[in-house]
Amino acid sequence: MMGVVEKGKPAERGATEESGEGADTNGGARVLEVAGISKRYGDLVALDNLAFEVHAGELFGFVGRNGAGKTTTMRIALGVLAPDAGVVRWLGVPLTFEARRRIGYMPEERGLYPKMHVAEQLAYLGELHGMTGGEARDSALGWLDRFGLADRRDAELQALSLGNQQRVQLAAALVFGPDVLVLDEPFAGLDPVAVDVMAGVLRERADAGVPVIFSSHELELVERLCDRVGIIDRGKLLACGTVGELRAGGQERRWVDVPGARANWDPGVPGVRLEQADGTRRLFELDAGIDDQALLKAALATGPVREFERVEPTLGEIFRSVIDGAAG
Amino acid sequence: MTARSAGPVGARGLPTIVLVARHEVRMRMRSRVFVGGTIVMTVLVVIGIVAASLLAGRTTPVRVGFSGDSQALERSFSATAKALGVNVSLSDISDVTAGTAQVTAGTLDVLVTGSSSAPTAVAKTAIPANIESALSLAAEAARLSDAGLSPAAIASAMALVPVQLLQPPSAKDNENLFASLALGIVLWIALGQYGNMVAQGVVEEKATRIMEIMLATIRPSRLLAGKVIGIGLVGLLQLTIVGAAALVAVRVTNVASIPALGVGSILADIFWFLLGFLFYATAYAAVASLVSRQEEVQSTVAPISVLQIAGYLLMYAAIPNPSGPLATVCSLLPPFSPIVMAVRMAASDVPLWQVALAIALTLASIAGLTWLAGRIYSNAALHLGTRVKFMKAFRG
Repeated sequence: MMGVVEKGKPAERGATEESGEGADTNGGARVLEVAGISKRYGDLVALDNLAFEVHAGELFGFVGRNGAGKTTTMRIALGVLAPDAGVVRWLGVPLTFEARRRIGYMPEERGLYPKMHVAEQLAYLGELHGMTGGEARDSALGWLDRFGLADRRDAELQALSLGNQQRVQLAAALVFGPDVLVLDEPFAGLDPVAVDVMAGVLRERADAGVPVIFSSHELELVERLCDRVGIIDRGKLLACGTVGELRAGGQERRWVDVPGARANWDPGVPGVRLEQADGTRRLFELDAGIDDQALLKAALATGPVREFERVEPTLGEIFRSVIDGAAG
Repeated sequence: MTARSAGPVGARGLPTIVLVARHEVRMRMRSRVFVGGTIVMTVLVVIGIVAASLLAGRTTPVRVGFSGDSQALERSFSATAKALGVNVSLSDISDVTAGTAQVTAGTLDVLVTGSSSAPTAVAKTAIPANIESALSLAAEAARLSDAGLSPAAIASAMALVPVQLLQPPSAKDNENLFASLALGIVLWIALGQYGNMVAQGVVEEKATRIMEIMLATIRPSRLLAGKVIGIGLVGLLQLTIVGAAALVAVRVTNVASIPALGVGSILADIFWFLLGFLFYATAYAAVASLVSRQEEVQSTVAPISVLQIAGYLLMYAAIPNPSGPLATVCSLLPPFSPIVMAVRMAASDVPLWQVALAIALTLASIAGLTWLAGRIYSNAALHLGTRVKFMKAFRG
């Protein structure tokens, strides 16, 4: 299991232990709670009474269109912006400055010192978060090793490719062993190998008891990786839950293959519509509450059924339907 | 597991201000700007000291040429001129016409012709102060000698009237003036340079977007203070180097005797430099956080630069009368006191209460500026693109 990290491994030291131990001591109270935050920029409502929770050990995917309010939410959580109303709690109390220092943050606007050496830069950030010089250095080197950048540790950041700069940026969020991770589009611009490494790291951190929230437009990745997903649009949280929960109440669809059926076969079940045909295979959409067994019976009555498959909507489809539903 | 990594990460590391300051020192010392800037400042200060020595007229004696019989006056003229405080260099002129031509050409200041008892001075547009008196006294002595008086009788007859000073100036006063002028120039250049360095550092952090991570990690006022302190320390190091060069230049040009720059005077100047730096650097940082591009920095910090230049000019105005009302008032006003008070303290004895008041006012204004700057800084720091209006940044 990814979450079990060998504590004796020097590369992981400092980056892993604190969170793990904290998870043991604080147990279930380790919840990052966004409680009814609102933010306006003049006439523009950026956030409207936004509320959700991210639990310890949970990877929370934050999805929404550009300008939906994801970055504003994260900035408020980090104290970089002040909300007009509402509060962000951690361990049951509103986040203090000291508590915020324990949050690993990857801002949407990437930024590190371009002329600083990579390892030196990470160590500096580690120290700013309260590590001693030695710990910060060890942890920085450990994370560089993890991201395959051990040989670039003494290079200036600006000499690295954009993808590698992005890995350093994530290492900057991880270097001090944060209690919470807030990452604004950590996967944007990464190659598939780097995506896998980063996804592995996030899963591992979550399994170590760290609530991890990240935003992304890669909905397949979010669906695959996240325990829970929040869909935000125009500053409002439209849906929040596991992908399974989000599917519930959505459209049900079935692939049915009845090779003996006529070309224009219609099962004649109320609330069931043909959506798509592929040879003899047909995709039917079922309205909410319609029993799929009625469709199966109708199909069997026509001829031998070679295929009867439940099609679950992808997160992308759920996302579009939620957004369209809110707009309509 | 080692004991070192056993506990949770807390405040075991160094304070954030120290970390930020250390980071600034490391990054600055590594840059070519630091090395180049040190060289440029050293050259400027040495040029300033040489210029000051030229302005003081100590190395350009009045050139006086004697022709014919008047050459007999040279010894007594030289002694009298020295007694009157005029530095002269004498030469023999064989031909009056050639000598006159030299005066016209400006290679000779004064040509003396005629006999020793009735000489005539030839000058171009005006005769330098006290040269006429010295020449008249020398001619008078010659006439008395011609009349048969003994050298002792002549010396007695020609003796200058003794002057009794109720408050005689110390011998070092005049030298302190040059020393304080030189230090004033150093302070001024240094404040401008380091203030701009802070301003550019702030904009650089905005432009490279590191600001958001920093603001999520440490308080804006600490980031600002650490930056100001770090650059201040780099500045002190640079000033030490420049100061050493200045001492060498002073010694070579002999514009002032080294002991005139006492330890107390140097420490006072460093103290005032630090106060002035804190004042101006904080102001520079606050204003610079309103813009996002290096090109915009100069125009934005212009109002602060104007204050600084005003302080520089006021310093010059204060030098002739360091205890006058203008100097006294300006030395108490925070934007100017770091420069004017430093010069006043070097040039005269400033009443203790005035020094204490100036320090108190400057410290209070630094505290106020830090509060204001921290507020502007955190409100404007994440605003990229167009320049942020001051009041918008202030209100947040």
